[in-house]
Amino acid sequence: MISCSLLPMFAAAYPAKTMWAITVPVVLGGLAVFVLLPRPRRFPPLAGAACAGLALLFAGWLLVDTGTSGPETVLFYSFSGIAIVGGGLLVTQANPVKAALSFTLVVLSTCGLFLLLAAPFLMAATIIVYAGAIIVTFLFVIMLAQQSGLSDADQRSREPLLTTVGGFVLLGALLFILAVTYDSSGIERHVRRTEAVLERLSALPPDGDWRGPSSDVESTLKDFLEWQSQTVRSGTDASKRLEAALIDAASTGASPQATRTDVVQALNNVRDRATEVRWTMGFLRPGANARLSDASGPPPNLPPGELRRDAFGRPPLPAANTAYLGRSLFSDYLLAVELGGTLLLIATIGAIAITGRRTERPR
Amino acid sequence: MSAVPLHNYLVVGAILFVLGVIGFLARRNMIVMFLSAEMMLQGVTINLVAFARYRGNLQGQSFTLFILTVAACEAAVALALFLMLYRSRKSLDVSVWQDLREAGQPATVDEETLPLPPVEEPLPTLTPAGLEPEHRGERTHV
Amino acid sequence: MSNVPAYLWLIPFLPLAAAALTALFGPRVLRQQSHWPCILAAAGSCVLSVFVLLAVRDLAPTGPADHRAEEQYVAAYYTWIHAGFVDIGFTLRADSLTAIMLVMVTFIGTLIAIYSAGYMHGEEGYPRYFAEVALFLFSMTGLVLADNYLLLYAFWEGVGLCSYLLIGFWFTKPSAADAARKAFLVTRLGDVGLFLGILALWVTFGHTLNYDDIFGQLQRSGPPAWLNGICLLLFCGAVGKSAQFPLHVWLPDAMEGPSPVSALIHAATMVTAGVYLVARSTPLFVQAPEAQLVVAVIGGFTALLAALIALTQNDLKRVLAYSTISQLGYMFLALGSGLGSTLASVAVVAAIFHLFTHAFFKALLFLAAGSVMHAMGNVIDMRRFGGLRHVLRTTHWTFLCGALALAGVPFLSGFWSKDEILATTLEASRQAWSPYQAIYLLLLLSGLLTAGLTAFYTFRAYFLTFWGEPRIPEEAGHHAHEAPPVMTVPLMILAVAALAIGAVVEPFTHWFSGFLGRTPFLGEVEEHRPVVLLAMVSGVIALAGIAVAWWMYVRQPGTAAALAQRFQGLYQLSLNRCYLDELYDVFFLRPLAGLREFCRILDAYVVDGLVDLVGQIPRLFGAFFRPMQNGLVQFYAVAMMLGVTVFLVVILFKYGW
Repeated sequence: MISCSLLPMFAAAYPAKTMWAITVPVVLGGLAVFVLLPRPRRFPPLAGAACAGLALLFAGWLLVDTGTSGPETVLFYSFSGIAIVGGGLLVTQANPVKAALSFTLVVLSTCGLFLLLAAPFLMAATIIVYAGAIIVTFLFVIMLAQQSGLSDADQRSREPLLTTVGGFVLLGALLFILAVTYDSSGIERHVRRTEAVLERLSALPPDGDWRGPSSDVESTLKDFLEWQSQTVRSGTDASKRLEAALIDAASTGASPQATRTDVVQALNNVRDRATEVRWTMGFLRPGANARLSDASGPPPNLPPGELRRDAFGRPPLPAANTAYLGRSLFSDYLLAVELGGTLLLIATIGAIAITGRRTERPR
Repeated sequence: MSAVPLHNYLVVGAILFVLGVIGFLARRNMIVMFLSAEMMLQGVTINLVAFARYRGNLQGQSFTLFILTVAACEAAVALALFLMLYRSRKSLDVSVWQDLREAGQPATVDEETLPLPPVEEPLPTLTPAGLEPEHRGERTHV
Repeated sequence: MSNVPAYLWLIPFLPLAAAALTALFGPRVLRQQSHWPCILAAAGSCVLSVFVLLAVRDLAPTGPADHRAEEQYVAAYYTWIHAGFVDIGFTLRADSLTAIMLVMVTFIGTLIAIYSAGYMHGEEGYPRYFAEVALFLFSMTGLVLADNYLLLYAFWEGVGLCSYLLIGFWFTKPSAADAARKAFLVTRLGDVGLFLGILALWVTFGHTLNYDDIFGQLQRSGPPAWLNGICLLLFCGAVGKSAQFPLHVWLPDAMEGPSPVSALIHAATMVTAGVYLVARSTPLFVQAPEAQLVVAVIGGFTALLAALIALTQNDLKRVLAYSTISQLGYMFLALGSGLGSTLASVAVVAAIFHLFTHAFFKALLFLAAGSVMHAMGNVIDMRRFGGLRHVLRTTHWTFLCGALALAGVPFLSGFWSKDEILATTLEASRQAWSPYQAIYLLLLLSGLLTAGLTAFYTFRAYFLTFWGEPRIPEEAGHHAHEAPPVMTVPLMILAVAALAIGAVVEPFTHWFSGFLGRTPFLGEVEEHRPVVLLAMVSGVIALAGIAVAWWMYVRQPGTAAALAQRFQGLYQLSLNRCYLDELYDVFFLRPLAGLREFCRILDAYVVDGLVDLVGQIPRLFGAFFRPMQNGLVQFYAVAMMLGVTVFLVVILFKYGW
């Protein structure tokens, strides 16, 4: 409700596409969850399912636009789609056994995402711990406790409206923060366009006329400048350097004496600065006092631009993930590992102590 | 060709987290609540691993391992508690446990009645042939 | 010995230490030996008091008579209250008046502590008794040593507390508990006046409560307009503590306490605190003749009234209690007669001299009465025993000594002091402003009448108890016997003192008046010529009273009953204490009860209603929020989540991203 009345204010301050990209999926998703939550007199489940499908569709289209297609993108979409659908089923499914199975689905697709994120050991560990241990124990408890089928409480929800509205307002706020802080799709689009222009320019003969619609220099720079002026993160140093480079390039392109070499140089400068902005996007530089060894990868206080990068612009992770993770845990996090082991022991003892049947001794 | 950006993973994490919140708050079966809480943890771990990927170091992954550890402990203790709670009230409904409300406040009870479960058709049975013989106090094992 | 400040503080603090010791270790460790700390401390204080007396005596007179502020020892030990310009110290002073009081209090206190060891033997609260007596000695010595009115007031309340505790020593007995409460409350009534008086002094004399400062200022700048009022307020305290006419009703009831307590507190020491206060404040009273007249009238009237009531009381201790009230009235009569600075010192000497002698013979009489009680199995009604002079020989003759002294038989202690009081009154009737002369003359006559009555009722009690055919109540069992030496020795010492001390200290040597006259701010006591005629008249009256008593109770035992039959109304009036308790009941207690009921209703319905109303307002607000506390965990979690969401959204709006 509060977001509805204040939405125009957002719209004035931020690009309309961002607003729509967040609002539409969030509202549809909220509606779907509200409709599907178990209650004594249920709404038609098909309507809820339709809402959910639409929300997913819009979210995939507007919110998590990768801009490319490839095996990684396809896998990302399928895993995250399954995870979110599984999560929705877990929340809306009246039968706790089915809810537990949906949770397994969530865990498994999360493990898929882990694989995409180059964390194979975590994938294995999560499957073993969650799917293998926790879920089985849960199902065991459910079988033990609910032998008489669905209980009364499973078919009711506590405060469905309040919960859904509150939860999805929270989601909207989170997504908004993510969008303005981490969404790199805009700058990547412009970087790609600039690179295309550079390619076209380099294809031209060295002393030929580089002006005109075929080279598209002016409109590209104009769009870039317009986007740059609209973006929220225009206050950082990298962003300011990019802006200066853009203005410089625009004036170079506009001056009649400029040769093609000048323009290429200016555009190269713009591309480099834009890449720098893209790297620094959303990264908060940790303090220098996080003293970790090389086993945990690059130091956290290393500026993002100085990381070694692979073909996709990502810093490479060591291939032997398990070995390096083990080294990291037993060098940088040794104390934490020991504490975690102690915690497990205590929890085991505690669980036994809690469930152990006490015989009432006569006093 | 390019990779999936960081932002996309973070969005998935946020959605899982919020779904978990909603499940935790709205569902009344303690086990489903607990599963929802675990799903919130899943959203967080996706966040951490994605950041680890995009920072090129193992800190996020290490942290995720600790989250796994704590989640396992939590599951053990929580399940033990659920069993105890179930033993004393014969229900997994959290709303059964509302004794710590303000004194004099009436208990919150569900007002809407559930729809009657669909009547299952009885299995066809044969009409008994003759009378059941009289039992003479022998112990049956039925 | 001359370094008085070095040991002056020990006089009150020895008993205090004894009290603490007995209170802490009495019930477990000392048990039946609990009297030792108290006796030793009292004796130690007594020795030190004698040192103080000698040291004060040896002080060389310096300067003119009315500026002899140096003739005292002042020892400032500790600043008690120090706030802004308020500076009240725990300061003790020793001058002639204090020294005499100290010696009297500690000497009698020692004897009574020794006596108590025998009298209270085997009592359940034996350690408690001695702790309280020691505490009392601390308070009493502190009272007379105090250097300012506030310190005096503190100790004044201290003796009141001890009196309460000791009257209610047998607190399981309802009458004792009631008597203790009555004594405390009635005394408080006067204390309110005293405290108001102290506050008035504080305001009037430029924020000081020091005796020297106040009296010095008074000498320099003359009396303030409301000095009469201040004096009357101070006198209120004296009336309460010394059981004078309107507030005397507590003292007879106070006889519920153990007999040594009656002797120590309610005859010799505490009740004389009022006399001490007025004597100490003489420089104030001298400037306020109207207040002095009130003092004299109340004193004289109380003396007569108490003597009249004492005539018919059947309870031996009550006779003595009324006698005490009567004698205290005498002292106030003397103090009230001290008109003008010259006569004032004579009056103070007379009052303190009577106080001094009275302390001895009245303590003796009470202790002897206690001895009788001890032997009679705690029966004190004179109708139930008689002819005890063969059974209780020592008690008999010591009681006789006390009675003779009290009756004012010529050349015994009481005779001298009473004579001085009457002489002072006579002098006042000559010197007073003419409209007051008649009043003082009337007071003199009533004093003479009281003297006769005193002799009569004292010997009535004596004859009823010790003469006639021997009768012993069954409570005494078959072993009615003389008390052990621990009790009789103090009796004998006191008997000797009662007979002789008056003659020794004053009439021939004039040592007492000479010594007391050196109290700072008290005028020099002139050599006054003894009024021989008055002395002869009072002596004859006393002897006549004794003779009448002998006639009525020994020679013709039926006479008293016949007279009572004849004057039924008067007899009943006296027997029922002039119905004063009943009058108080009708005129004060009933209206107060009504007021109390009114206040109770006001409190229960109006005040409580208002308070409840105030309490209802938060409750009203709470009615909105109370349903939120519904005990549902998830409801609380929803509230938490909403809170987080609201914070997040607010931060977004406020700070952009």
